Amino acid sequence: MIHLVFLGKFGDVAPAGLGAIALPAGVRNLSDLQHWLAQREPLLGQAMAATRTRLIVNQCVAHDLSQAIADGDEIAFLPPMSGG
Amino acid sequence: MRVLVTAEAFDPQAEVAAFSAGRDDAGALVSFVGTCRAKTGDVAIEELRIDHYPGFSEKEIARLAEETALRFDCPDLLVVHRVGVIRPGEAIVLVAALSTHRANAFKAVETLMDYLKTDAPLWKKESGPQGARWIEPRAEDHARRAKAEEGL
Repeated sequence: MIHLVFLGKFGDVAPAGLGAIALPAGVRNLSDLQHWLAQREPLLGQAMAATRTRLIVNQCVAHDLSQAIADGDEIAFLPPMSGG
Repeated sequence: MRVLVTAEAFDPQAEVAAFSAGRDDAGALVSFVGTCRAKTGDVAIEELRIDHYPGFSEKEIARLAEETALRFDCPDLLVVHRVGVIRPGEAIVLVAALSTHRANAFKAVETLMDYLKTDAPLWKKESGPQGARWIEPRAEDHARRAKAEEGL
């Protein structure tokens, strides 16, 4: 299983049930995962494509979409931040 | 250094009093409190919802605070940030800095607020009679962040 976390406006369009999923066949890295998500959930794919999206793997910032994904990973999708 | 991300309403004055109690190592204390407005322009706000990413948000805010404390030679910094549902008039964020002299304390608070606007993993959604919308940093916020990076 991998654990997916959708923050901010991504949480509004991500369907329930995506929180914990079996690692999809053919998904080896973050780029593969984004493509898989965009195909399966077009609204989510559009929301991510329309803004700057940062990916966090196991609470660490991912700098490269070629970063491999392993079973048990937690991957968070962050839209632009707005604290303060 | 105290960083608190909380879903509970907090009393900024009480937090600042506890933070500065007994501190004789700093001659300056500066604090800023951001509160929830009842209006943005002509648009009424009934509530603000702030999402966070538990664990990561706290870690990143602590990192930003530590960088700021080092840069402005502050022996201590305080950040309290609300998450969850916030009503107009309630405090959203408190930043306080202790420093030897006032210039650094003022700069630390202003710089950390600029960082929080663009770099803290928090997401604001305003809701009112005209619907709800997610807030993103404005060009002005990015400009202030860039200026803060350069050294004010």
